[in-house]
Amino acid sequence: MVEVRRVHYRAGGAHILRDITVQFRPRKFNVILGPNGAGKSTLLKIAAGLLKPSEGDVRYGVQTLQEVGLEPLARQRAVLSQHVELPFALTVEDVVRIGRYPHYGRTPAPRDREIVDRAMGLVEMTDKRTQAYPTLSGGEQQKVQLARVLAQIWNYDGSSDEKYLFLDEPTSNLDIHHQLHLLGVARDLLNVNCTVIAILHDLNEAFRYGDAFFILENGALAQEADNDQDISASLIERVFKVRARRVPDSDGDHGYWRFSL
Amino acid sequence: MLKRLSFIQIHLLLGVLLLGAMLASAGIGAFMFTPAEMARYLAEAAGWMSAPAADTLGRNVFLQLRLPRVLLAGVTGAVLGVSGTLMQGLFRNPIVEPGLAGTSAGAAFGAALVFVLGEKTTLAFTAPLGALAVPVLAFIGGFAATMLVYRVSSSFGKVNVFTLLLAGIAVNAVCTAGTGFLSYVARDPQARNITFWNLGTFTTATWRGSILVAVIFIPCFGWSLRHGKSLNALMLGETEAASIGIDPPKLILHLLILNTLMVAVDTAMVGVIAFIGLVVPHVLRMMRSADYTFLLPASALLGALFMEVIDVVARLVISPAELPIGIITAVVGAPVFLWILLREQRAGGTALYG
Repeated sequence: MVEVRRVHYRAGGAHILRDITVQFRPRKFNVILGPNGAGKSTLLKIAAGLLKPSEGDVRYGVQTLQEVGLEPLARQRAVLSQHVELPFALTVEDVVRIGRYPHYGRTPAPRDREIVDRAMGLVEMTDKRTQAYPTLSGGEQQKVQLARVLAQIWNYDGSSDEKYLFLDEPTSNLDIHHQLHLLGVARDLLNVNCTVIAILHDLNEAFRYGDAFFILENGALAQEADNDQDISASLIERVFKVRARRVPDSDGDHGYWRFSL
Repeated sequence: MLKRLSFIQIHLLLGVLLLGAMLASAGIGAFMFTPAEMARYLAEAAGWMSAPAADTLGRNVFLQLRLPRVLLAGVTGAVLGVSGTLMQGLFRNPIVEPGLAGTSAGAAFGAALVFVLGEKTTLAFTAPLGALAVPVLAFIGGFAATMLVYRVSSSFGKVNVFTLLLAGIAVNAVCTAGTGFLSYVARDPQARNITFWNLGTFTTATWRGSILVAVIFIPCFGWSLRHGKSLNALMLGETEAASIGIDPPKLILHLLILNTLMVAVDTAMVGVIAFIGLVVPHVLRMMRSADYTFLLPASALLGALFMEVIDVVARLVISPAELPIGIITAVVGAPVFLWILLREQRAGGTALYG
């Protein structure tokens, strides 16, 4: 379980996170919500161990991040961000293999090769394995990055180790097909002992895919909810500075939100 | 065709070509040696054969001038090739090389300080360092210049290409001005040394100098080979590399130190040689792969191969006189590089837009 305890983050005189305590739900799709500048990305980076908090600590199970260590941490959790550009033309397969780096020394073991193959298969990029990454479309590039992080925390062999996937606005440059594909793959991970922690901008998407919600406002936790029904229109209106209305869905229990200024 | 060969096969191929080039480089020049003569000199030097008194001149030229020169040219090419690869990896940009990032110019300035002020003046501040004064000051100058360019051009884990270019130009200008000032105030033999040395030269090769460069290069190279994977991961960006278990600031600092060490010591011996560091990794990427586990060993081999060939050309063009190496690398290297760029742009390549 990933836990953030009494975390503050200050940078350049700004108090970006104020006393955040969060327990991300194990084997659930955790979503961090909030307007631009609320500190979502900072919180995600701190929870993923990519940024040191000014105060407070982060725990993976019973260990603090320092106790886990860089390389073991890299075998437990992976991070997928918005859009990764490469300065040089690695092939699709080269990029996916980078995900296995924390698991092998000089040369990949047969198991690493197999995982790379299966990860490429899972995102339907096997037939482009030798293609140069910079020549792919944005959607395809993100699929390759998804395969890379899947390979990094590969858990489809029935491992009992809990793994974590952090998603930092992974869908913001993607068309609707690629968005749904990525979120679908991420949701499937919950079945193989993975916990997903994501920042999503589209609230309807977040409520459809998410299980637990953490709403940030000005660097503080405004609400924590295990059911999107518990999130009130007035809270959304205040935090996001919009007018919000839940519209019943013809076939669904969730309904969807409609926003206006 | 090369794309189908494995990394190891290409390394072997380059190794065989390099051996051939070294053999040619040892034999060709103002003095020509046949392979049989070279073998005989070597056997005599090793004490397996007694040396006839008649052929002292040829033997001395081969053993005391030609061989250290072949070694120095090879190691220099390897240093510049590996350095270009490392720096392009660290800056995550294909335009970087020791010449651009200020490493060479900084090292040249440091070395020129020793040439002009260090010896036999009231300012003999380098006296305690003795014979190591030139490499040590070259290292300090090269490292300061490189770190300055890196610090200025990188912010928030990203290297800004434009800032990098501008910082490189500025730091190079300062170092070149410094070196220029030193050669202006220097007495004549020193000044000529600096000028010649700014263009790159192997004429001053001695066993001592060549072995020093090789002894510094080998551990630096060995250490950098361990970081092929880390450099691949760094291509994704510093944050992504950190998520794969790498400590980017530490990696960058370590590699910049050993890169500067080998470039500075080499520059102290042979002067400033441009373009090799830029062209070698680029050619290899087009030839086979951008994977650093392939590039690092391959760039040592190809750099050495290029340099041996260029050194032979330098000896032949205006024989029995010699051209400075830096002039040939620029005259040949720059058009070749422009041609590569054009070709790549027509093919819609993206390798240059970091």
